[in-house]
Amino acid sequence: MNVLKVSRWTIAAFVLPCLLLYVGLVFAPILVSFYNATLNWNGIGVAKHVGLDNFQRMFTHDSVFWPSVRRTFMLAGFSMLVQLPIALFVAILISRYVRKPNFLVSSYFMPVILSVAVIGQLWKTIYNPASQGGMINQILIKLGLGDWTHAWLSEPKVAIYAIIVIGLWQYLGYHILIQFTGIQNIPADIYEAAKIDGAEGLTADRYITLPMIVPIFKISVVLSFIGSLQSFDLIMVTTAGGPAHATDVLASHMYNISILSQKYGYGSAIACFLVVVCLVATVIINFLFNRLDRRYN
Amino acid sequence: MITTGKKVAGTAMAGFLAVSLAACGSSKDNNNGSDAAASPSASASTSASASASASAPASSDSGSKEKVTITFQNIYPDPTDPKYNMLRKIVKQYETDHPNVHIELDSLNTDQQKQKLKTQAASNEVPDITIVNPSAQMKPYVDAGLFAPLNEMVEQNGLKDTFQSGILDYYTFDGNLYALPDGNNIALMYYNKALFKQAGIDAPPTTFEDLVADVKKLKDKGIQPMTIGEKDTWTGSFLFMNMLLRTNGGPGFLQDIVDGKKTFEDPAFKGAVDSFETLVQAGAFQEGATSFDYNAGENLFKTGKAAMYFMGSWATGGIEVSDANKDGNVGVFKFPTIGGKGDPNEFMLAPGSAFAVSKNSKHLPETLDFLNYFMLNYPKEAFAAKGAVGVAQKVDGDFKAAGYSDMAMEVLAMFKDVKGGDISFDNTMNPATSQAHLSSIQNLFVAKKDAAAVAKEHQQAYEDNKE
Repeated sequence: MNVLKVSRWTIAAFVLPCLLLYVGLVFAPILVSFYNATLNWNGIGVAKHVGLDNFQRMFTHDSVFWPSVRRTFMLAGFSMLVQLPIALFVAILISRYVRKPNFLVSSYFMPVILSVAVIGQLWKTIYNPASQGGMINQILIKLGLGDWTHAWLSEPKVAIYAIIVIGLWQYLGYHILIQFTGIQNIPADIYEAAKIDGAEGLTADRYITLPMIVPIFKISVVLSFIGSLQSFDLIMVTTAGGPAHATDVLASHMYNISILSQKYGYGSAIACFLVVVCLVATVIINFLFNRLDRRYN
Repeated sequence: MITTGKKVAGTAMAGFLAVSLAACGSSKDNNNGSDAAASPSASASTSASASASASAPASSDSGSKEKVTITFQNIYPDPTDPKYNMLRKIVKQYETDHPNVHIELDSLNTDQQKQKLKTQAASNEVPDITIVNPSAQMKPYVDAGLFAPLNEMVEQNGLKDTFQSGILDYYTFDGNLYALPDGNNIALMYYNKALFKQAGIDAPPTTFEDLVADVKKLKDKGIQPMTIGEKDTWTGSFLFMNMLLRTNGGPGFLQDIVDGKKTFEDPAFKGAVDSFETLVQAGAFQEGATSFDYNAGENLFKTGKAAMYFMGSWATGGIEVSDANKDGNVGVFKFPTIGGKGDPNEFMLAPGSAFAVSKNSKHLPETLDFLNYFMLNYPKEAFAAKGAVGVAQKVDGDFKAAGYSDMAMEVLAMFKDVKGGDISFDNTMNPATSQAHLSSIQNLFVAKKDAAAVAKEHQQAYEDNKE
């Protein structure tokens, strides 16, 4: 549909620069990465072609790889299954019961604009052991729950969950904002019509809000899932993937291999795996949501 | 509709914005040596000197020289470290003598600088002057041809002779010298005398068993026995290698591995792992040690919260002026023997981080000239700033008369006792093997692992990554 009434060539000409930029900055490096994954290269010297050796090593020989995949999916899963329902619920409550929602939504949004370095330092003071002034441990001890204290960021079993909590806290406001905007766009007369039929409050939500927010919810799902698959900065700032790879996710493992161990080719192989996983995840999510969309619309 | 008043106001705001941007631009040019921590008076004086020299071009021919900016990446970010001020003093002096040269400082902590340099090297954007660690750690960069050889520069002004004999070998590859060290250090145990007395310890331990017993005594009194900055994994490795130096009965274990005479499953290695784990399990280190970086770990000792601190003698300058050393409260002792093995006069040697020059530097002659000047003045300024313990060059002067503390004199005396030693793991093995080792040691801080398993891990990593 040509709303602008200009020739197709004009449209193409205007889109071309952006497209070139996108291809040059996104596609080309990904393809170069795929090529680099077939090399044995330390990043600054001469490269040696080794074919699919890196991939084979990655899948069978690397003791850090599969746990880091598991942790990456855990991060993504938690953000999708815990963070989004909470965000949706809070958004529904705000849109229904709060007179001036803007202030509340802005305050929830604050952690999103904090830089990750600030968040890392902030949460380190919360998670530190009590002897170093850590808030959580001090509260637990004062409440007499001393047994529940842990070295939150240093204990291998607990550390990744501690980091997941930080991640959930950081982006909750972001998703609240998205869902809230989505809910605002649902016309009020539908609710009034439902009220006449006797459906109010949460019942109305089940039949009206949820189906109508599916496209917006899909945006949130894609953003949170793909975003947490790639999470890197939070891990690096809090634990740098330690202790002893207990909090390594795919992106931080890739960084450690490429930069610290100077095995750039192998790191590229991990990057390729990450790209493929993100693509597959996007396709699956799109497919599921298209099904949902067709069902409700 | 936009009223005339609004139009005038709008134009005035736009004009104001433009003027303020222009002002920002010009003040940036005048702000030589702008460092976030530099005092306002320092920047005022340099801007005054810059404008003074700019307004007097007729008197010298420097007015026709092009403006040169040299990026100087260094690892002295801590303002309480004497080297911090010393570096800035020499830089300022050079800038005053050479008004067309501006030196931009990039100060990072050790691990961050290592990572940053690796990233910069990969994209061929190495700063004009950067820091590298000796031998194996700088080899990849040398092999990639990233550094300029310094053979000629080091002959100028007799710079070569100022260095202690043999030290430059650690930075020489194929007959070419690629970096100049800022120090030649040994590893020691610093201890807080008051805390020792509080726990009823009369004298520093001379055997490992005494050390563990002392750790228990300190713990019983609620005193943190030792501190370490294990987020920066080289710190734990450094301590571990000292234990290996003892259990091996002498230096050269890693060299034997490289020569194929030994493997990591040797009893000496396993003995070192056992000793390391004994120390960790005895509760020697602070809770959450793996989230303390180097500076945070050292601060725990400097603020008097920990009784012992194992570190290289480069830390002397900072510890000397810290709260913990008030009234000469800090002493040093040699790392103890383990199971009666090892010679206390064998130390972990740490030829210092060294300054290298990028081969593709846009201003190579100026950079070489500056580095020559810097290294010539380094020992003198270090001596004056009380940071001359562990400098790699020969330092003239009466330390005692210059006001060096008793602790510094003790450390200097230790240097005289050195009979030999080893250099660190990551200065001997290639980066990939070193990373595996560093992670493995870090792991020991959070979980007890069988020494045989650790040895196997090391051997596997070594074989996987043999070039």
